Amino acid sequence: MLIEFTLNRKRVAVEAPPDITLLTLLRDYFNLTGTKEGCSVGECGACAVIMDGRLVNSCLVLAPQAAGSEVITIEGIRGPDGGPNDMQENFITYGAVQCGICIPGMIMAGEALLMHNPNPTRAEIRTALAGNLCRCTGYQQIVDAIEATARSREGNR
Amino acid sequence: MPEYQYIGKPARRVDALEKVLGTAKYIADRKLPGMLHARCLRSEVPHARIVKLDVTPALAVPGVRGVITSEDFFEHGLYGFPVKDKYMLAYQKVRYVGEAIAAVAADTPEAALAGVQAIICELEPLPGVFDMEHALDADAPQVGPDRPDGEHPNFLDKLIVRKGDPLAVWEQSPIKLEERYTVGPQEHAYIEPEGVLAVPTPEGGVVVYAPNQSPFINHGNLALVLNLPHNLVRVIQPPVGGSFGGKDDIIYESSAQVARLALITGKPVRMVFSREESLIVSYKRDAMRMHIWLAADPDGTLRACKFDGLLDSGAYASESSFTAWRASIHAMGAYRYDACHVDITAVYTNNGYCGAFRGFGNTEVCMAIEQAIDEMAYKVGMDPIDFRLKNCLRLGDETVHGQRLTESVGLAECLMAVRRLSDWDRKRAEYTRRDVACNVSTTNDIRRGIGVAALYHGTSLGAEGQDYANATIAIEQDNSIDITSGLTDYGTGSRTVFTLIAAEELGVRPERIHMQRPDTDTAIESGPTVASRSTMLGGNAMRIAAMNLRQTLDYAAADLLGCELHQLIRHGEAYVGPAEEPVPWERVVAHAREMGLALSAHGKWTAPRINWDHHAGRGTPYMAYHFAAQVAEVEVDMGTGNVQVIGFWAAHDLGKMIFPQGAYGQLYGGIAQGLGYALMEQITFVNGYIQETNFESYLIPTAVDVPEIVGTFIEAPFSHGPYGAKNIAEPAMVPTAPAILNAIYHATGRRVRDLPANLERVLLGHDLAKGGSPRACKLGLHIA
Repeated sequence: MLIEFTLNRKRVAVEAPPDITLLTLLRDYFNLTGTKEGCSVGECGACAVIMDGRLVNSCLVLAPQAAGSEVITIEGIRGPDGGPNDMQENFITYGAVQCGICIPGMIMAGEALLMHNPNPTRAEIRTALAGNLCRCTGYQQIVDAIEATARSREGNR
Repeated sequence: MPEYQYIGKPARRVDALEKVLGTAKYIADRKLPGMLHARCLRSEVPHARIVKLDVTPALAVPGVRGVITSEDFFEHGLYGFPVKDKYMLAYQKVRYVGEAIAAVAADTPEAALAGVQAIICELEPLPGVFDMEHALDADAPQVGPDRPDGEHPNFLDKLIVRKGDPLAVWEQSPIKLEERYTVGPQEHAYIEPEGVLAVPTPEGGVVVYAPNQSPFINHGNLALVLNLPHNLVRVIQPPVGGSFGGKDDIIYESSAQVARLALITGKPVRMVFSREESLIVSYKRDAMRMHIWLAADPDGTLRACKFDGLLDSGAYASESSFTAWRASIHAMGAYRYDACHVDITAVYTNNGYCGAFRGFGNTEVCMAIEQAIDEMAYKVGMDPIDFRLKNCLRLGDETVHGQRLTESVGLAECLMAVRRLSDWDRKRAEYTRRDVACNVSTTNDIRRGIGVAALYHGTSLGAEGQDYANATIAIEQDNSIDITSGLTDYGTGSRTVFTLIAAEELGVRPERIHMQRPDTDTAIESGPTVASRSTMLGGNAMRIAAMNLRQTLDYAAADLLGCELHQLIRHGEAYVGPAEEPVPWERVVAHAREMGLALSAHGKWTAPRINWDHHAGRGTPYMAYHFAAQVAEVEVDMGTGNVQVIGFWAAHDLGKMIFPQGAYGQLYGGIAQGLGYALMEQITFVNGYIQETNFESYLIPTAVDVPEIVGTFIEAPFSHGPYGAKNIAEPAMVPTAPAILNAIYHATGRRVRDLPANLERVLLGHDLAKGGSPRACKLGLHIA
């Protein structure tokens, strides 16, 4: 079936079977491999993307459900110069990255949080990350990076 | 202490940019035109004889391009170190649920699954061993290989430490403790499941992209079982999505399978595990049962320790004899004793199989001994930190093994640091008064407690094996610098550590340096990337390589500036001679080229020789030790048994911090893994069938389970470490579980001596019988 939606701010249309997930659609049909598959049952958040302003696990979304929606993946998170945006830069500065496999999902979770709550407490950041598993970092530097991003965006408002 | 330009200063992780942009290519993100998809037929029973295996029907399935069995490997694919007991595909017998029997390569994953399901495989079930306590019974079914030495075939190894006669001391002692502790298996739970990609080469060899920890071991195994010369096998490590000890044997096996399939089909072949396959098939941290006797004087002086441990290696040896050795060395904790005996026995069962996992035996024994030490502190009526300070190893002490500690012993400082940082004395007094402790919540009975644990952890391999590493460094035509190491970075940050060390020694900006990905064709073999050895071994090798290159450039600079070597000074990258005119580094490099000097260098570092006498149980097990203390503060809901860790403090003597964000990241991440081990991570084998096959049943800590952590580093430098550095990766997690368990006791008055301290163990003091079935395994492996 033909699935039309907005992907990283571009209108796209793709012919795909109706029984695949949004995760498979992104990875296999658009070659957007920044979105990772960690568990396929919605537990780990490695496949998290922003769909119509909400954080979703793309392994739990059927591809046809994306029709007419606006989807942002990690490949759509960039600074004005096409390099890392401020959140991604803070992930580097604060040492939030180790093996890196969870990081695209973490950054999507951070961006989704700041869309709705531009000035979160550390506890609110932790709650927003509760659906994203990281086995390397113990989360602390990820919270640091998101907190620093929120502070600097608030300051620039 | 000398002032460094880059060592110990905040830095950018060299591979962070591609990871935050989502452009890093892990195995599952790599594909080639015409690439085939591989999948294994796996055992659905825990122990059986393979009576029939016919793969021809699979070859008739549309899309299937190749099928292999153990017949396709040299000597049926037998491999393993130090014990050769496993096959790349099962030969004659299967010994655990999920063991690979055959592998299929097909055009699509669906065709590969259809191919697997078409294979005719008849298994004749054999009785299994599911309780490690009965593995060595005379009538126990044979799981392990034949033992020509007359030992029970299910006996893997026994490791001992011997000093004096602890039981005699214990019998006479006025204050004594005898307790039993158990830990279950733990899953590494790297968020990237296993995967391997193999590409056949025109000359008949194979290139294998494998997220393994130790590509050179994989390389050696592949050459052996594929019966290829070493130069026709190349192993490249792509970005690795977490490992923690977990991506060795299982990746070597998958590598051999896809490599053979690639050679047979002439096409690239990739195998990627599902999470279910990963949890069922991969090796785990060993389960252990431990029995401890401790004796002390009324004044709180520890006198004797006897420690008996039984370790379940599961169906194969993997690293278990090394794990058991590290467990034996650390079992008594970082304390002085007049007498100490340790006996760790490792046995085979049909409960999956167990291998390396962060902490490597010390995580298991530390959970037991640090609770026992806490229990002794209560018995003698001392504060747990005071009791540890009274007995802990200090500079100049001799360990129970007979090793004199002559430098780099920061344990007492660590204990005092966590005491101060956690506000220990005030909280200890406050929470001990139950009336106050009960008042945390007005509606529920929630109690607070605070607990401590101490640690020592031997650096690198110790007497396990030859301990050396190699590094290379070369200046390219564009004046960038390429460095290589035979040790790998699977998320640990070692590539950044090596970059900073090269920058420091050469006096150039880190941005100039490109740390190459591990590749057996370009890096030099350096032993395995295990045992938290990268910073010390690989760091020393890199330091030597950079110093060698630096000397070449110094000669060129002195020649260019017309001065003596000792007259050179550096301003940033630039060289300055007696004329005080700075010369850019690039000009010095160009001059070195004109002089015909080699602009590349090699560094090798070999650790000082140490010795361990396995029969006497005495010697010098490690060249140095990491010391640490951790404090946990918990709230326990007495109505549900729920434990929330609300505060955590950690002080670690790592010798010298090289890459701060990396060191703190290791610390926080290790503590989170230890928290999971303490409270929620449970692997249950029911008649050999694992019950937890995805993250909905195998729970690991989330961001709301892990508290804000206050970490600090005590730098007691080790003279053989680069800039004094020792290690951090493994020790970070080792004392976490006992610190939390000791806090639970302080809060509740209840000792939980079996891990994990889940709701029922905290609330009721015992397990609830949950039963179990093969169902989850069969669903996970797509066995109809």
